[in-house]
Amino acid sequence: MPLIRKPPSAGSGTATPAPDPTALVDALAHGNDDERWSAARAAADYPSMVPALGDAVARERSPAVREALFSALARIATAQSVEAVLPFLRSDEALLRTEASDALLAMRSAAGPYVPALLKDQDPSIRILACVLVRDMPSRDVANLCCELLSSESDINVCAAAVEALAEIGESSALPALLRCAERFRDTPFLQFSIRLAIERARSHAPSTRA
Amino acid sequence: MPDEVAKRVLVVDDAALVRLYYRTALERAGFEVAEALNGVEALEHVLAERFDLLVVDVNMPQMDGLSFLRTLRAKNLPLSSIPALVTSTESAPRRIAEANAAGANFYIVKPLRAETLVQYASLFCGARHG
Amino acid sequence: MRQVHVPEFPSLTQDEFRRLCEFLYRRTGMIFTEAKRYYVERRVVDRMLATQAASCEDYFARLRANVSGEIEQFVNAFTINETYFYREEHQLTCLTSDLLAARLSAKGRGDPIRIWSVPCSTGEEPYSIAIWLLENWPHVDEHDIEIVGSDIDTAAVALARAGVYGKRALMRLPPRVVDKYFAPDGGTSWRILDELRESVRFTAVNILDRAATGSHGRFDVIFCRNVLIYFDDIARRNAAENLFENLLPGGFVCLGHTESMSRVSPLFEVARFADAIVYQRPEVPKRA
Repeated sequence: MPLIRKPPSAGSGTATPAPDPTALVDALAHGNDDERWSAARAAADYPSMVPALGDAVARERSPAVREALFSALARIATAQSVEAVLPFLRSDEALLRTEASDALLAMRSAAGPYVPALLKDQDPSIRILACVLVRDMPSRDVANLCCELLSSESDINVCAAAVEALAEIGESSALPALLRCAERFRDTPFLQFSIRLAIERARSHAPSTRA
Repeated sequence: MPDEVAKRVLVVDDAALVRLYYRTALERAGFEVAEALNGVEALEHVLAERFDLLVVDVNMPQMDGLSFLRTLRAKNLPLSSIPALVTSTESAPRRIAEANAAGANFYIVKPLRAETLVQYASLFCGARHG
Repeated sequence: MRQVHVPEFPSLTQDEFRRLCEFLYRRTGMIFTEAKRYYVERRVVDRMLATQAASCEDYFARLRANVSGEIEQFVNAFTINETYFYREEHQLTCLTSDLLAARLSAKGRGDPIRIWSVPCSTGEEPYSIAIWLLENWPHVDEHDIEIVGSDIDTAAVALARAGVYGKRALMRLPPRVVDKYFAPDGGTSWRILDELRESVRFTAVNILDRAATGSHGRFDVIFCRNVLIYFDDIARRNAAENLFENLLPGGFVCLGHTESMSRVSPLFEVARFADAIVYQRPEVPKRA
């Protein structure tokens, strides 16, 4: 008989009383894929789980479970959860770096205070990731942070990432830093192209040019 | 005899200015260009349209370029063997090895010059001289 | 008193248009070409007036910061919000051409096929699925099929249960189909026949509420159209994880035609069929 209506289905194990964090920690460490996934999702309600979540990320081989672990950290969104995510930006595994970066983007407010330090990190790859985080900050912060970076940045790709952020906001206050950067990297066509575009944007929004 | 059908390049990079720079250079050289800003979007394009070359950055949101390549190469479809030029800010040998293992045909350290990109694109797409 | 700049039309320079398009593309995946420029500009003007933005610059800052969900407000105009029967028919075609066959090969004999429409609004989508299957799937009599429709809006759910629709909702249905599955209800409405109405179960659910979604069990196919695009990053992840849990391994989720998982979550595999791109929960647990 087609299209029968069935009574409400039995749940897939989620209609349970609130789990106890100890049980969750145990499931994260010793459970099968489904159990680790469920524990990761449930952990989002327990800020005290941050250390256990961070440890679990380091061990976890299943991308789906790892995704849930990062989501839990992002939903908790405390300074502690930001600090638990930061080390993974330095991973050798590209996907893990992506997941960590996405988790920070998902908790922008909590991650914000850490961005200035990331922009000064020794590793240019971290500084580039920091520029990606900067992109979603308020215009004034983007302008201040990126201009400060450009004034002393020696890595071309980091400069390009900062210019990318500046090009989106088009703040006229960025003009001097952009012009100086263009001067420093005259032999890099891509950077010249980017800076030219960012300058056009900044100029078209300068107060004196508003109709 | 010139090719009748334009060669199509998929540019995969999360930086809008990079995509624009590559697009400008490639279109000027007669290529058709499509864009994606992460590996998931790149898969959507590759599964839906014909491409002759992929230009793939490594660090992108949602799905990085190497994960995208691994997924593509694992599919056992004709499109799984589209040539892929991987671009990255990293120059360490282990990164290059990782990209090759993921299925890169070539690896270039950023920033790319427009002429270089066009040269490689022409090479991968079977261009003739003159 | 604050001066409100009344924008002249058109108000965007070439570069302002490009910057806006790049931003929207980045955040939503939507592509606005030159062909759409008129509509985009009109929408900017509408939103500038609605938000009392002092200038285009002011509005863009607001959009960037997503003040009061401005991105969603902006995008809302470009998604067809009107619901009607057989909307996005290509996905229904994909369902009967490809998705069900793929699911059947993974299921045990006698396992019901479960399809979820969430959000279902006033029921056009889940009823469309039911009618489409009856009209287009040769195997419809061979399997138990359960169709569930859910929405956060309890008033919409009540209307869905009532199953009464006006002419506009039925505009895409062939007259023969209307005659077959609906009965006239007053002068301007039609009511779904009881047998079909009782074939679809309706519930009220918030897609972000894990316990609530979890109680619905696992599905073979989920239609989740035009809701994810309205959430912020963290809510999208949460919703995607709920959808993942509500899918059987190998099950499929279909989004709206302007939407993409590329802006939502990497949990799903991209699956391409002749009529649609859909997203699939991996058949076996993903291992690195």
